Amino acid sequence: MATSYASDIKPIWCPGCGDYGVHAALNKALIDLGIDKSKIMIVGGIGCSSAMPHTFSTYAIHGIHGRVLPIAMGVKLANDELTVIGVGGDGDGYGIGGNHFVHTARRNLDITYIVMDNQIYGLTTGQASPTTLIGTKTKSTPFGDIEEPINPISVAISAGATYVARGFSGDPMHLAELIKNGILHKGFAVIDALSPCVTFNALNTYDWFRQRVYKLDASYKAEDKANALQKAIETETTNWQKIPLGLIYKENRPTYNELDITLKQGSLIKQPLPTKDQVRSLLDGYA
Amino acid sequence: MSEVVIRVAGANGDGIESSGMLLLKIAARSGRYVFGYRSYQSVIKGGHVWYQIRIADEKLYSHGSDIDILVALNQDAITYQLKHVKEGGIVIYDPSRTTISGAPQGTKLIGIPLLDIATKVSGDPIMRNTVALGAVLRLAGIDIAVADELINETFSKKSQQIADQNIKAAAEGYNFAGVERTFNIKNDSRRRYVLDGNTALSVGAYAAGCKFYAAYPMTPASGILHWFASHENLGVVFKQTEDEITAINATIGAASAGVRAMCGTSGGGFSLMVEGLGLAGMIEVPIVVVEAERTGPSTGLPTKTEQADLLFVNHAAQGEFPRIVVAPRSAEESFKIASEAFNLAEMYQCPVIILSDLYMAEHIEGVEEIDADGVKVERGRVQAEATNDGRFDRYKITDDGISPRSIPGTPGLEFVAASDEHNEYGDLISDVFAGIDEYVEKRKRMHEKRMRKIDTMLKNEDLFKPELEGGQADYFFVTFGSATMPAKEAVKLLSNEGLRFGIISFSYLLPIDAEKTLKILNGKKLIDVEYNFTGQLAQHIKSATGINIEKRILKYDGEAFTPKEIAEQAKLIANGW
Ligand SMILES: Cc1ncc(C[n+]2csc(CCOP(=O)(O)OP(=O)(O)O)c2C)c(N)n1
Ligand code: SF4
Repeated sequence: MATSYASDIKPIWCPGCGDYGVHAALNKALIDLGIDKSKIMIVGGIGCSSAMPHTFSTYAIHGIHGRVLPIAMGVKLANDELTVIGVGGDGDGYGIGGNHFVHTARRNLDITYIVMDNQIYGLTTGQASPTTLIGTKTKSTPFGDIEEPINPISVAISAGATYVARGFSGDPMHLAELIKNGILHKGFAVIDALSPCVTFNALNTYDWFRQRVYKLDASYKAEDKANALQKAIETETTNWQKIPLGLIYKENRPTYNELDITLKQGSLIKQPLPTKDQVRSLLDGYA
Repeated sequence: MSEVVIRVAGANGDGIESSGMLLLKIAARSGRYVFGYRSYQSVIKGGHVWYQIRIADEKLYSHGSDIDILVALNQDAITYQLKHVKEGGIVIYDPSRTTISGAPQGTKLIGIPLLDIATKVSGDPIMRNTVALGAVLRLAGIDIAVADELINETFSKKSQQIADQNIKAAAEGYNFAGVERTFNIKNDSRRRYVLDGNTALSVGAYAAGCKFYAAYPMTPASGILHWFASHENLGVVFKQTEDEITAINATIGAASAGVRAMCGTSGGGFSLMVEGLGLAGMIEVPIVVVEAERTGPSTGLPTKTEQADLLFVNHAAQGEFPRIVVAPRSAEESFKIASEAFNLAEMYQCPVIILSDLYMAEHIEGVEEIDADGVKVERGRVQAEATNDGRFDRYKITDDGISPRSIPGTPGLEFVAASDEHNEYGDLISDVFAGIDEYVEKRKRMHEKRMRKIDTMLKNEDLFKPELEGGQADYFFVTFGSATMPAKEAVKLLSNEGLRFGIISFSYLLPIDAEKTLKILNGKKLIDVEYNFTGQLAQHIKSATGINIEKRILKYDGEAFTPKEIAEQAKLIANGW
């Protein structure tokens, strides 16, 4: 069992960036699970957070902006035996990749998707993101943001994700548990990881979050969808005064690979290539 | 060559497509060469559609020019198609539904109560197609026993009753008074597959071990989508995606994980795939992308043909990276090219674009030779085991530009595939290192490594030049892909008139071996034939060889070239030279 899955690559992040905490949490989750690192594929998009694949010594793809989930889907469909983990930012996942977010949830692919949600575009130096709160002044909204932010938790639940959680980079041990259970969960697991951008987001700071976050306790029933949706919109109903952390929704539903007629037979990469006889008999059908 | 051209015309929903396919199969199984093409519109019911079936005793490359037998299923069919009937041609129509006036002198009109017979035999009006089919078989001199056999194979899966009714309907048409054998087309005993371009391409990909196809529906590439979707039981995965961006990125994911993977679309979808294409180029993942062109720009004419995306696919995506572009010149070649494409993609770790078009994708061809045994699977430089304790240098700088690749799951060969510029290990050199002398040099070396693969391809493969046919000719058509087919037949028509034309045709377009290409083209009288306004092949040739082909036959009205129209324009050009 590996003592760390981290690589020797120094992260690109600013000192104090929330992404360090998420990195530590993912590393801890992997250590706890003890998965062979050659059987892990981490896929990132583009952004500060999306560069995370380089900080691990597993297989990884540092792809293009917003396309974490399509690439991750291709990997998972090709080789079901790999543990596939998507990582990226809120811009990457909920903005440019928003279409994929909804449809991947619907498919219930067995992928764990960690979104480092800093409510800002970090790498491009501080423009508004889909989760930027109304009124926030950013480089692209100098007069204050006027668009309603997306609620990734309620969207994920509605779209059909089967494991939906929120964690906080300021509490990496708790976040690690959420990630670990997300990886263990059979199906599409979304973890919205609140991850402050200390350089470009002056509003949503560690302190701002600490005053608002609270952990769901054992009495919370994550399997009840109506209840979960109610909990998911607590950020709106309390005007961002209360931010629940923990597993908000969980459902057991067959994964895409369990339902697909071909993949039911086993991992695609292990299935044999057609023989010459098979090709010939296929062709005979056209004669 | 003896031949017959049959056009069945009616409305969408009349069942023309399935009876057209049936006729093609019957003619092919009875030992003839066949070619089919369906002209349709972007509507689901109604409209005016036709299906042309050409049957001959020689290999065909076109659906032909004028009509020998018109089967008119409605009044529109008479209005729009009568003028395309050859002098002395035949019109089959239903006198209880349609009227004919103004048919040219000598046209033979055969009125058959198609609908009444269909209703009598089965109660199902759709079977009037089969009645007409029977009549056509008699006129074309094709043995009805073969038809019975194929009708049985086709319909008995549904129900034996429907099969029997169709056999009865065909016999009624075959025996209808006034229907007499008119054409005599020699036959042989060779086996022929009846394949449209999309199917031939799909089967070729499957034969080569393609296990993953991702697509979003778009005419005229949808045939490939339907093929893979309906063959999932053969151990392939088809994924319909939310858009073409997903299709190509999922293909990159699957190929990265080690399976042979392909995606396909038309120009509009390819436009969305462009950024992904660059990703495949940068992280050196072998993918195959099919771009089946239709008439553009924008949504254009969704059900019509064009070859106006050549320069687009040659250059699509920012930056420079090796890619292979290839356009099959027949359905037969589509099989071969699809199977080769995966080897090339994996050997050179780059995207391969198969450039097709509506005519190529949807025309139907009787194919004699499909070399299933000749399909070889070459997976390129895959490292199966870790050889030392250090990190795996996935992007190792090599003399031929090709680096060793590992398949995820292999212990000890982990690496990051990065769309940012990277070093041999895949580590970013785009951030804190960018601009520092040592890394400026590293970027240069990595870019040169990737680009060197083009030299390696040109050195190792003898593919990247056109094919010359008819070396002794006075004039040469220059074509790529689909336009090669009608041009080949135009060569025959011209030779009947004593004009010696040859043809220089490209399937592989990029990279282009400038030296070999120049040698083939040099000193010849060349006429460029393609489906676009700006002569994109001619531009491509000029930029590689300096040869400027001034004489051009260009078509961009959406319709397929007929051999006759190419021949007529060529004659004018030749006479004026
Ligand atoms: C197609 C495309 N558009 C724009 C960009 C520029 N870009 C890079 S990262 C980014 C947004 C980053 O924000 P987010 O995804 O939230 O990640 P963060 O940097 O905050 O971690 C943008 C717009 C790009 N790389 N590609
Ligand atoms: S800019 Fe913000 S998100 Fe990016 S590394 Fe710095 S703190 Fe983190």
